[in-house]
Amino acid sequence: MAHQAHAYHMVDPSPWPLTGAVAALLMTSGLAIWMHFHTMTLMSLGLILFLLTMYQWWRDVIREGTFQGHHTPPVQKSLRYGMILFITSEVFFFLGFFWAFYHSSLAPTPELGGCWPPIGITTLNPFEVPLLNTAVLLASGVTVTWAHHSIMEGQRKQAIQSLTLTILLGFYFTALQAMEYYEAPFTIADGVYGSTFFVATGFHGLHVIIGSTFLAVCLLRQAQYHFTSDHHFGFEAAAWYWHFVDVVWLFLYISIYWWGS
Amino acid sequence: MAARLLLRSGLRAVTTCQAVRAPALSRSMAAGGIPTDEEQATGLEKVIMKAMKEGKDPFNMMKPKSYAGSRNDPHLVPSITNKRVVGCICEEDNTSIVWFWLHEGEPQRCPSCGAHYKLVPHNLSH
Repeated sequence: MAHQAHAYHMVDPSPWPLTGAVAALLMTSGLAIWMHFHTMTLMSLGLILFLLTMYQWWRDVIREGTFQGHHTPPVQKSLRYGMILFITSEVFFFLGFFWAFYHSSLAPTPELGGCWPPIGITTLNPFEVPLLNTAVLLASGVTVTWAHHSIMEGQRKQAIQSLTLTILLGFYFTALQAMEYYEAPFTIADGVYGSTFFVATGFHGLHVIIGSTFLAVCLLRQAQYHFTSDHHFGFEAAAWYWHFVDVVWLFLYISIYWWGS
Repeated sequence: MAARLLLRSGLRAVTTCQAVRAPALSRSMAAGGIPTDEEQATGLEKVIMKAMKEGKDPFNMMKPKSYAGSRNDPHLVPSITNKRVVGCICEEDNTSIVWFWLHEGEPQRCPSCGAHYKLVPHNLSH
Protein backbone atom coordinates (compact mmCIF):
# COMPACT_ATOMS: atom_id res chain seq x y z
CA MET A 1 0.00 0.00 0.00
CA ALA A 2 1.12 3.64 -0.23
CA HIS A 3 3.59 5.07 2.25
CA GLN A 4 2.92 8.66 1.27
CA ALA A 5 0.88 11.38 2.94
CA HIS A 6 -0.32 12.94 -0.31
CA ALA A 7 -2.62 11.84 -3.12
CA TYR A 8 -0.20 12.53 -5.96
CA HIS A 9 1.81 10.04 -7.99
CA MET A 10 5.58 10.18 -7.72
CA VAL A 11 6.47 8.04 -10.73
CA ASP A 12 9.15 5.36 -10.43
CA PRO A 13 12.35 5.91 -12.45
CA SER A 14 11.81 4.98 -16.08
CA PRO A 15 14.04 4.60 -19.15
CA TRP A 16 11.37 5.59 -21.67
CA PRO A 17 11.97 9.36 -21.65
CA LEU A 18 15.61 8.66 -22.56
CA THR A 19 14.75 6.16 -25.29
CA GLY A 20 12.19 8.66 -26.60
CA ALA A 21 14.80 11.40 -26.76
CA VAL A 22 17.25 9.08 -28.52
CA ALA A 23 14.50 8.08 -30.95
CA ALA A 24 13.81 11.75 -31.72
CA LEU A 25 17.51 12.32 -32.37
CA LEU A 26 17.79 9.28 -34.66
CA MET A 27 14.62 10.16 -36.56
CA THR A 28 15.63 13.76 -37.25
CA SER A 29 19.24 13.08 -38.12
CA GLY A 30 18.10 9.98 -40.00
CA LEU A 31 15.77 12.17 -42.06
CA ALA A 32 18.68 14.42 -43.01
CA ILE A 33 20.88 11.40 -43.85
CA TRP A 34 18.09 9.95 -45.99
CA MET A 35 17.72 13.16 -47.93
CA HIS A 36 21.43 13.56 -48.62
CA PHE A 37 22.85 10.03 -48.74
CA HIS A 38 19.85 7.94 -49.82
CA THR A 39 19.97 5.48 -46.92
CA MET A 40 17.05 4.93 -44.54
CA THR A 41 18.86 2.91 -41.86
CA LEU A 42 19.25 5.61 -39.21
CA MET A 43 15.71 6.92 -39.67
CA SER A 44 14.22 3.41 -39.54
CA LEU A 45 16.15 2.69 -36.35
CA GLY A 46 14.76 5.89 -34.88
CA LEU A 47 11.23 4.98 -35.93
CA ILE A 48 11.45 1.52 -34.35
CA LEU A 49 12.80 3.00 -31.11
CA PHE A 50 10.00 5.59 -31.20
CA LEU A 51 7.30 2.94 -31.56
CA LEU A 52 8.87 0.81 -28.81
CA THR A 53 9.06 3.85 -26.51
CA MET A 54 5.41 4.74 -27.02
CA TYR A 55 4.27 1.17 -26.48
CA GLN A 56 6.24 0.66 -23.30
CA TRP A 57 5.65 4.11 -21.81
CA TRP A 58 1.90 4.00 -22.23
CA ARG A 59 1.78 0.34 -21.16
CA ASP A 60 3.44 1.52 -17.93
CA VAL A 61 0.87 4.33 -17.51
CA ILE A 62 -1.91 1.75 -17.84
CA ARG A 63 -0.19 -0.50 -15.30
CA GLU A 64 0.20 2.39 -12.84
CA GLY A 65 -3.37 3.64 -13.23
CA THR A 66 -5.59 0.66 -13.87
CA PHE A 67 -3.65 -2.11 -12.14
CA GLN A 68 -1.96 -0.26 -9.28
CA GLY A 69 -4.51 2.44 -8.52
CA HIS A 70 -2.15 5.42 -8.63
CA HIS A 71 -4.61 7.57 -10.60
CA THR A 72 -6.34 9.25 -7.67
CA PRO A 73 -8.68 12.23 -8.27
CA PRO A 74 -5.89 14.86 -8.25
CA VAL A 75 -3.78 12.71 -10.56
CA GLN A 76 -6.68 12.26 -12.95
CA LYS A 77 -7.25 16.00 -12.89
CA SER A 78 -3.66 16.65 -13.91
CA LEU A 79 -3.95 14.09 -16.71
CA ARG A 80 -7.01 15.98 -17.95
CA TYR A 81 -5.11 19.27 -17.88
CA GLY A 82 -2.27 17.59 -19.72
CA MET A 83 -4.47 16.29 -22.51
CA ILE A 84 -6.24 19.63 -22.90
CA LEU A 85 -2.94 21.49 -23.07
CA PHE A 86 -1.62 19.00 -25.63
CA ILE A 87 -4.70 19.37 -27.83
CA THR A 88 -4.39 23.15 -27.51
CA SER A 89 -0.82 22.95 -28.76
CA GLU A 90 -2.07 20.89 -31.72
CA VAL A 91 -4.67 23.57 -32.44
CA PHE A 92 -1.85 26.09 -32.75
CA PHE A 93 0.05 23.66 -34.98
CA PHE A 94 -2.85 23.59 -37.44
CA LEU A 95 -3.41 27.32 -37.04
CA GLY A 96 -0.03 27.81 -38.70
CA PHE A 97 -1.06 25.87 -41.79
CA PHE A 98 -4.37 27.70 -42.00
CA TRP A 99 -2.40 30.96 -41.77
CA ALA A 100 -0.26 29.83 -44.68
CA PHE A 101 -3.33 28.91 -46.71
CA TYR A 102 -5.13 32.19 -46.10
CA HIS A 103 -1.96 34.21 -46.63
CA SER A 104 -1.58 32.74 -50.11
CA SER A 105 -5.24 32.56 -51.07
CA LEU A 106 -6.59 35.91 -49.89
CA ALA A 107 -4.07 37.90 -51.95
CA PRO A 108 -3.05 35.62 -54.84
CA THR A 109 0.15 36.76 -56.54
CA PRO A 110 0.51 37.53 -60.27
CA GLU A 111 2.46 34.26 -60.68
CA LEU A 112 -0.75 32.40 -59.86
CA GLY A 113 -2.76 34.55 -62.25
CA GLY A 114 -3.98 36.88 -59.52
CA CYS A 115 -6.80 34.49 -58.64
CA TRP A 116 -7.61 31.58 -56.34
CA PRO A 117 -7.65 28.76 -57.21
CA PRO A 118 -4.58 29.56 -59.32
CA ILE A 119 -4.63 29.22 -63.09
CA GLY A 120 -4.16 25.61 -64.15
CA ILE A 121 -5.41 24.04 -60.92
CA THR A 122 -8.49 21.81 -61.20
CA THR A 123 -9.86 21.70 -57.69
CA LEU A 124 -11.75 18.77 -56.22
CA ASN A 125 -15.53 19.09 -56.19
CA PRO A 126 -16.36 19.83 -52.54
CA PHE A 127 -19.75 18.14 -52.89
CA GLU A 128 -18.36 14.77 -53.89
CA VAL A 129 -15.92 12.69 -51.76
CA PRO A 130 -14.99 15.60 -49.45
CA LEU A 131 -18.65 15.96 -48.44
CA LEU A 132 -18.87 12.21 -47.81
CA ASN A 133 -15.73 12.50 -45.67
CA THR A 134 -17.41 15.25 -43.67
CA ALA A 135 -20.45 13.04 -43.08
CA VAL A 136 -18.23 10.12 -42.09
CA LEU A 137 -16.34 12.12 -39.47
CA LEU A 138 -19.47 13.75 -38.08
CA ALA A 139 -21.07 10.31 -37.78
CA SER A 140 -17.97 9.05 -35.99
CA GLY A 141 -18.37 11.92 -33.52
CA VAL A 142 -21.86 10.64 -32.78
CA THR A 143 -20.73 7.03 -32.37
CA VAL A 144 -17.87 7.96 -30.02
CA THR A 145 -20.35 9.89 -27.86
CA TRP A 146 -22.61 6.85 -27.93
CA ALA A 147 -19.64 4.76 -26.75
CA HIS A 148 -18.99 7.18 -23.89
CA HIS A 149 -22.55 7.05 -22.67
CA SER A 150 -22.53 3.26 -22.95
CA ILE A 151 -19.47 3.10 -20.70
CA MET A 152 -20.97 5.50 -18.17
CA GLU A 153 -24.18 3.48 -18.07
CA GLY A 154 -22.31 0.19 -17.68
CA GLN A 155 -23.38 -1.29 -21.02
CA ARG A 156 -20.42 -3.39 -22.16
CA LYS A 157 -21.79 -4.75 -25.44
CA GLN A 158 -23.00 -1.36 -26.68
CA ALA A 159 -19.72 0.26 -25.67
CA ILE A 160 -17.74 -2.25 -27.70
CA GLN A 161 -20.10 -2.00 -30.69
CA SER A 162 -20.15 1.81 -30.84
CA LEU A 163 -16.39 2.10 -30.30
CA THR A 164 -15.78 -0.43 -33.09
CA LEU A 165 -18.09 1.52 -35.37
CA THR A 166 -16.20 4.73 -34.59
CA ILE A 167 -12.90 3.10 -35.54
CA LEU A 168 -14.37 1.66 -38.75
CA LEU A 169 -15.63 5.11 -39.73
CA GLY A 170 -12.14 6.45 -39.07
CA PHE A 171 -10.66 3.80 -41.38
CA TYR A 172 -13.29 4.59 -44.00
CA PHE A 173 -12.27 8.27 -43.91
CA THR A 174 -8.61 7.34 -44.26
CA ALA A 175 -9.33 4.99 -47.17
CA LEU A 176 -11.44 7.62 -48.97
CA GLN A 177 -8.77 10.28 -48.45
CA ALA A 178 -6.06 7.94 -49.70
CA MET A 179 -8.09 7.33 -52.84
CA GLU A 180 -8.63 11.10 -53.27
CA TYR A 181 -4.88 11.68 -52.93
CA TYR A 182 -4.18 9.05 -55.59
CA GLU A 183 -6.79 10.37 -58.02
CA ALA A 184 -6.21 14.13 -57.47
CA PRO A 185 -5.44 16.13 -60.64
CA PHE A 186 -2.76 18.14 -58.80
CA THR A 187 0.26 17.26 -56.65
CA ILE A 188 2.14 18.78 -53.73
CA ALA A 189 4.59 20.23 -56.25
CA ASP A 190 1.89 22.27 -57.97
CA GLY A 191 2.74 25.66 -56.56
CA VAL A 192 1.45 27.10 -53.33
CA TYR A 193 -1.97 25.53 -53.92
CA GLY A 194 -0.49 22.06 -53.87
CA SER A 195 1.73 22.84 -50.90
CA THR A 196 -1.02 24.26 -48.69
CA PHE A 197 -3.53 21.60 -49.73
CA PHE A 198 -1.38 18.55 -49.14
CA VAL A 199 0.50 19.76 -46.05
CA ALA A 200 -2.71 20.80 -44.26
CA THR A 201 -4.81 17.79 -45.28
CA GLY A 202 -1.80 15.48 -44.98
CA PHE A 203 -1.14 16.41 -41.35
CA HIS A 204 -4.85 16.10 -40.71
CA GLY A 205 -4.82 12.59 -42.18
CA LEU A 206 -1.89 11.69 -39.93
CA HIS A 207 -3.91 12.88 -36.94
CA VAL A 208 -6.86 10.77 -38.05
CA ILE A 209 -4.56 7.74 -38.10
CA ILE A 210 -3.20 8.65 -34.65
CA GLY A 211 -6.72 9.18 -33.31
CA SER A 212 -7.94 5.89 -34.77
CA THR A 213 -5.00 4.10 -33.14
CA PHE A 214 -5.78 5.72 -29.79
CA LEU A 215 -9.42 4.60 -30.09
CA ALA A 216 -8.31 1.10 -31.09
CA VAL A 217 -6.19 0.87 -27.94
CA CYS A 218 -9.25 1.98 -25.96
CA LEU A 219 -11.29 -0.76 -27.62
CA LEU A 220 -8.74 -3.39 -26.57
CA ARG A 221 -8.74 -2.01 -23.03
CA GLN A 222 -12.53 -1.89 -22.86
CA ALA A 223 -12.65 -5.52 -24.01
CA GLN A 224 -10.29 -6.40 -21.17
CA TYR A 225 -12.41 -4.65 -18.54
CA HIS A 226 -9.94 -1.83 -17.81
CA PHE A 227 -12.59 0.89 -17.74
CA THR A 228 -15.10 1.38 -14.95
CA SER A 229 -18.31 3.33 -15.34
CA ASP A 230 -16.86 6.27 -13.39
CA HIS A 231 -13.15 6.10 -14.21
CA HIS A 232 -12.23 5.80 -17.88
CA PHE A 233 -10.06 8.80 -18.58
CA GLY A 234 -8.04 7.05 -21.29
CA PHE A 235 -11.23 6.74 -23.29
CA GLU A 236 -12.23 10.35 -22.60
CA ALA A 237 -8.82 11.55 -23.78
CA ALA A 238 -9.21 9.54 -27.00
CA ALA A 239 -12.71 10.95 -27.51
CA TRP A 240 -11.49 14.54 -26.99
CA TYR A 241 -8.71 13.95 -29.51
CA TRP A 242 -11.19 12.48 -31.96
CA HIS A 243 -13.54 15.46 -31.67
CA PHE A 244 -10.53 17.76 -32.21
CA VAL A 245 -9.65 15.84 -35.41
CA ASP A 246 -13.26 16.20 -36.54
CA VAL A 247 -13.28 19.97 -35.91
CA VAL A 248 -10.01 20.44 -37.79
CA TRP A 249 -11.55 18.62 -40.76
CA LEU A 250 -14.58 20.92 -40.66
CA PHE A 251 -12.29 23.94 -40.86
CA LEU A 252 -10.30 22.30 -43.65
CA TYR A 253 -13.45 21.49 -45.56
CA ILE A 254 -14.92 24.99 -45.25
CA SER A 255 -11.64 26.83 -45.98
CA ILE A 256 -9.70 24.73 -48.48
CA TYR A 257 -12.24 22.48 -50.14
CA TRP A 258 -15.24 24.79 -50.31
CA TRP A 259 -14.18 28.46 -50.14
CA GLY A 260 -10.88 27.66 -51.85
CA SER A 261 -12.47 25.98 -54.85
CA MET B 1 -29.03 -0.43 -37.12
CA ALA B 2 -28.66 2.02 -34.28
CA ALA B 3 -32.42 2.31 -33.96
CA ARG B 4 -32.78 -1.47 -33.81
CA LEU B 5 -30.07 -1.68 -31.13
CA LEU B 6 -31.68 1.11 -29.12
CA LEU B 7 -35.09 -0.56 -29.32
CA ARG B 8 -33.63 -3.91 -28.36
CA SER B 9 -31.83 -2.56 -25.31
CA GLY B 10 -34.90 -0.56 -24.32
CA LEU B 11 -37.06 -3.68 -24.56
CA ARG B 12 -34.57 -5.63 -22.49
CA ALA B 13 -34.45 -2.90 -19.87
CA VAL B 14 -38.23 -2.89 -19.57
CA THR B 15 -38.70 -6.66 -19.48
CA THR B 16 -35.74 -7.91 -17.43
CA CYS B 17 -35.36 -5.25 -14.76
CA GLN B 18 -38.87 -5.83 -13.43
CA ALA B 19 -37.81 -8.98 -11.53
CA VAL B 20 -35.09 -7.40 -9.38
CA ARG B 21 -35.82 -4.02 -7.91
CA ALA B 22 -32.24 -3.28 -6.86
CA PRO B 23 -31.09 0.22 -7.90
CA ALA B 24 -27.52 -0.61 -6.86
CA LEU B 25 -27.32 -3.16 -9.68
CA SER B 26 -28.14 -0.68 -12.45
CA ARG B 27 -24.48 -0.34 -13.41
CA SER B 28 -22.11 -3.15 -12.48
CA MET B 29 -20.46 -6.27 -13.82
CA ALA B 30 -23.63 -8.18 -13.09
CA ALA B 31 -25.97 -5.74 -14.85
CA GLY B 32 -24.29 -4.35 -17.98
CA GLY B 33 -20.85 -5.90 -17.98
CA ILE B 34 -18.80 -2.83 -17.13
CA PRO B 35 -17.31 -2.84 -13.62
CA THR B 36 -17.83 0.03 -11.20
CA ASP B 37 -15.13 1.71 -9.13
CA GLU B 38 -16.76 0.00 -6.13
CA GLU B 39 -15.91 -3.36 -7.69
CA GLN B 40 -12.60 -2.66 -9.34
CA ALA B 41 -10.73 0.32 -7.84
CA THR B 42 -7.44 -0.61 -6.26
CA GLY B 43 -4.42 0.87 -4.51
CA LEU B 44 -4.40 4.49 -3.39
CA GLU B 45 -7.44 5.26 -5.55
CA LYS B 46 -9.44 2.72 -3.54
CA VAL B 47 -8.13 4.01 -0.19
CA ILE B 48 -9.19 7.55 -1.10
CA MET B 49 -12.55 6.39 -2.48
CA LYS B 50 -13.33 4.55 0.80
CA ALA B 51 -12.22 7.51 2.93
CA MET B 52 -14.29 9.99 0.91
CA LYS B 53 -17.35 7.80 1.35
CA GLU B 54 -16.91 8.07 5.13
CA GLY B 55 -16.53 11.84 4.82
CA LYS B 56 -12.81 11.71 5.64
CA ASP B 57 -10.01 13.44 3.76
CA PRO B 58 -6.74 11.85 4.93
CA PHE B 59 -4.68 13.30 2.10
CA ASN B 60 -5.95 16.86 2.38
CA MET B 61 -7.41 16.90 -1.13
CA MET B 62 -10.22 19.27 -0.12
CA LYS B 63 -10.13 22.83 1.20
CA PRO B 64 -9.54 22.86 4.99
CA LYS B 65 -12.60 23.04 7.19
CA SER B 66 -13.74 26.47 8.31
CA TYR B 67 -13.31 27.38 11.96
CA ALA B 68 -13.88 30.65 13.84
CA GLY B 69 -10.23 30.77 14.89
CA SER B 70 -11.13 31.89 18.41
CA ARG B 71 -9.80 30.40 21.66
CA ASN B 72 -12.90 28.20 21.98
CA ASP B 73 -13.08 27.27 18.31
CA PRO B 74 -9.48 27.13 17.07
CA HIS B 75 -8.50 26.08 13.57
CA LEU B 76 -7.80 22.34 13.82
CA VAL B 77 -4.74 21.43 11.77
CA PRO B 78 -4.22 17.71 11.07
CA SER B 79 -0.64 16.44 11.02
CA ILE B 80 1.11 13.11 10.54
CA THR B 81 4.01 14.21 12.75
CA ASN B 82 4.15 16.60 15.72
CA LYS B 83 4.45 19.83 13.75
CA ARG B 84 3.17 21.36 10.51
CA VAL B 85 3.69 24.61 8.60
CA VAL B 86 0.63 26.87 8.64
CA GLY B 87 0.03 29.73 6.22
CA CYS B 88 -2.49 32.26 7.57
CA ILE B 89 -4.27 34.58 5.13
CA CYS B 90 -5.41 36.88 7.90
CA GLU B 91 -8.01 38.77 5.94
CA GLU B 92 -9.68 37.72 2.71
CA ASP B 93 -7.79 38.93 -0.38
CA ASN B 94 -4.58 39.58 1.60
CA THR B 95 -1.68 39.10 -0.79
CA SER B 96 0.93 38.19 1.82
CA ILE B 97 0.65 34.93 3.73
CA VAL B 98 1.94 34.63 7.29
CA TRP B 99 3.86 31.35 7.60
CA PHE B 100 4.79 29.67 10.88
CA TRP B 101 5.43 26.24 12.38
CA LEU B 102 2.55 24.89 14.47
CA HIS B 103 3.73 22.50 17.19
CA GLU B 104 1.92 19.81 19.13
CA GLY B 105 0.41 20.87 22.45
CA GLU B 106 -0.98 24.27 23.38
CA PRO B 107 -2.77 26.15 20.57
CA GLN B 108 -0.66 28.89 18.97
CA ARG B 109 -1.76 32.22 17.58
CA CYS B 110 -0.98 33.80 14.22
CA PRO B 111 1.68 36.47 14.84
CA SER B 112 -0.21 38.87 12.62
CA CYS B 113 -3.95 38.48 13.23
CA GLY B 114 -4.00 36.37 16.40
CA ALA B 115 -6.16 33.55 15.06
CA HIS B 116 -5.88 30.36 17.14
CA TYR B 117 -4.47 27.16 15.62
CA LYS B 118 -4.27 23.72 17.25
CA LEU B 119 -2.30 20.76 15.87
CA VAL B 120 -4.22 17.49 15.73
CA PRO B 121 -1.69 14.70 15.28
CA HIS B 122 -2.79 11.38 13.83
CA ASN B 123 -1.00 8.41 12.32
CA LEU B 124 -1.49 7.33 8.74
CA SER B 125 -3.50 4.11 8.59
CA HIS B 126 -0.81 2.52 6.39
